[in-house]
Amino acid sequence: MTTSRRDFLARSVQLGVLLGAGAPLLQACGSGGGSSGKQVTKSIADGLKPEAGPLRIFNYDSYVNPDVVKAFEDKYGVKTEVTTFTTDTEALTKLATKAVKADVHHSMSNNSIDRLIAGGIVQPLNKTYLTNLGNINSKFVDPWYDKGGKYSVPYTFFGTGIGYRADRLDAKQVEADGWDTLWKATKFKGQVSVLDDNREALIMAMLRKGLTDVNTVDQKVIDQALADLTELISLVNVKVNINAYKDLPEGTSSIAHTWSSDLINAANGNLPTGVGPEVLGFWHPPAGKYMVTNDSMGVVAGCEHPVLAHLYLNFLLDNDNAEKNFTFVGYLPALKKFTSDYVVSQQLVPPNLANCIPTQDEIDQGLYMKPLGAAGDAIWEAAWSKFTAGG
Amino acid sequence: MWPVFAVPGVGWLIAFFVVSVYAVMAVAFGSVDPVLRTAVPAWNPAHWDFSAISEVLHRVFGGDLGKVFVRTFWFVAASLAGCIAVGYPVAYYVARKAGRRRGLVLALLVLPFWISYLMRMLAWTNLLQPDGIVNRLLHVLHLQGPPRNWLDGNPQTVIFGLVYGYVPFFILPLYSTLERIDGRLIEAGRDLGASAIQTFLRVTLPLSVPGLMAASVITILPMFGDYYTNTYLTSGSPKTDMVGNQIEHYLLGTTQPQTGASLVLILMAFLFVLMAYYMYTTVRQQRLADR
Repeated sequence: MTTSRRDFLARSVQLGVLLGAGAPLLQACGSGGGSSGKQVTKSIADGLKPEAGPLRIFNYDSYVNPDVVKAFEDKYGVKTEVTTFTTDTEALTKLATKAVKADVHHSMSNNSIDRLIAGGIVQPLNKTYLTNLGNINSKFVDPWYDKGGKYSVPYTFFGTGIGYRADRLDAKQVEADGWDTLWKATKFKGQVSVLDDNREALIMAMLRKGLTDVNTVDQKVIDQALADLTELISLVNVKVNINAYKDLPEGTSSIAHTWSSDLINAANGNLPTGVGPEVLGFWHPPAGKYMVTNDSMGVVAGCEHPVLAHLYLNFLLDNDNAEKNFTFVGYLPALKKFTSDYVVSQQLVPPNLANCIPTQDEIDQGLYMKPLGAAGDAIWEAAWSKFTAGG
Repeated sequence: MWPVFAVPGVGWLIAFFVVSVYAVMAVAFGSVDPVLRTAVPAWNPAHWDFSAISEVLHRVFGGDLGKVFVRTFWFVAASLAGCIAVGYPVAYYVARKAGRRRGLVLALLVLPFWISYLMRMLAWTNLLQPDGIVNRLLHVLHLQGPPRNWLDGNPQTVIFGLVYGYVPFFILPLYSTLERIDGRLIEAGRDLGASAIQTFLRVTLPLSVPGLMAASVITILPMFGDYYTNTYLTSGSPKTDMVGNQIEHYLLGTTQPQTGASLVLILMAFLFVLMAYYMYTTVRQQRLADR
């Protein structure tokens, strides 16, 4: 197709106008995006009436009992709206860019709470609204990630260990082998998994070698952990997921590096008909070498319903509501009442999985994942990327 | 007057393609908030920083990400071959031989679209279990001895999943081309002494090349970015990790969104090369046809 001189000149002028208009437009755009605000230091005033709602909850999928949420709605005569996210990073990004309007951040991880606080995403709590604070486990009253518990209350806590099919593996051998169980599982090739998390699996490889500094940023240590973890690809055809809660009871997985609460979930809701919880087993390292993690709840800064949000947090800190929630999510509430003896006696957890409930000693001496800073995160994320790419 | 009718299409293209690509570039060449570590896009090219994409290019050409790209390429190539092997005979039958059943067969071909892609993959994870119906069927037909674990992270399962998921997209445009082939050309071939196979190879197949190319493009473009087929069918095995999985990892699971966005741009550049070849072939064929 030929172009006439007139057409060429017309199009050149149009392009010139466009570019000319575009430059100032781009200048005006600047560097917008999910920029942080300042840390919020002022909480809401005392004695305010609850808003009319709806209360907007931002949470992982299926991480709160709908019946408990309904009970809250009935008690306060409000509606709720639940928006879900799939990863901690996604949650932070959506709140930072205000892509989501939320009142309650239901599941803040220890890795990101510092950023949520410093970046002005969550606001300080007014504890006059939180009459159930006395129920909280002592370890989480003044946690390392939120001194004085000013911005958060704990939601759930759990440990990381090995879930396995007790009808296929000898429990005593698992106890003796510890983390080596995964490396020795050549008989179960294709039925072994590690957690899909930037840090958990690499930490497991470090703990296996007796290293307990789970927040190291030493490149050599992380490279060695990567090398050890990579062995699992050829040895056992390892998978990377967070599906142990269903794969173990279904039988498609025999050994899983997983969270303790996944075994509770597996036993309470995912076993095939006629199969009892005795087919499941859980191993974890002793106190002092046991990774413990907890999720926390907070009130989003500048939200429309802060009083309702406070009341919701308080509602979930109530022992009865927390117990009802536990029967659905399988993750233990971070409240004093929920000891191993209590949950087993109430038949909330089968006796053979009592060790899925961290003891107070294990909680107090637990190893906790802490923020590493940008450079530290980059090292771990690069190592994890290499592992998932095939080593 | 007539160019005005192009405005909605051009507007759509600008809003949902040009702006989206520019947004990805702004993230890839932007920075990260020092506190939140979320993406801070750089909308003004004068502020662009190319260090993230340089790092990713270094990892792709000679680093650990190179094998992910190679693996993805082979998965897509094998899946395309599978789509041709399965889809071409189906499209040919519907276009040339189905007769009165054509409408019914087309409806059946479109039926999988009624169910979400994810649900179909989840259904297959059930069927491919060691005690699933696939193993039982293969055993009954004496095609297999002990049950095989299809979900243990082997590439064949991923390729099968990609073929299954994308073959309907392959069949429909190919059917459209085959259906438009003038039957008299095929008759002429037979009349001039060519056998059925020779007529197919020398008349039908060359005439179906534009449809084959279009169907291939429609199929392989989304395959290159696919990440959920591998995730669902192999439960995240590192042996089957594709570029889409690495993009998902960096965008949703790390504090380095620029790396994820850079991977998107590199993948797009690679796909542009393939698209350029497709466009060149199409234009060349159009010129030959015009003569």
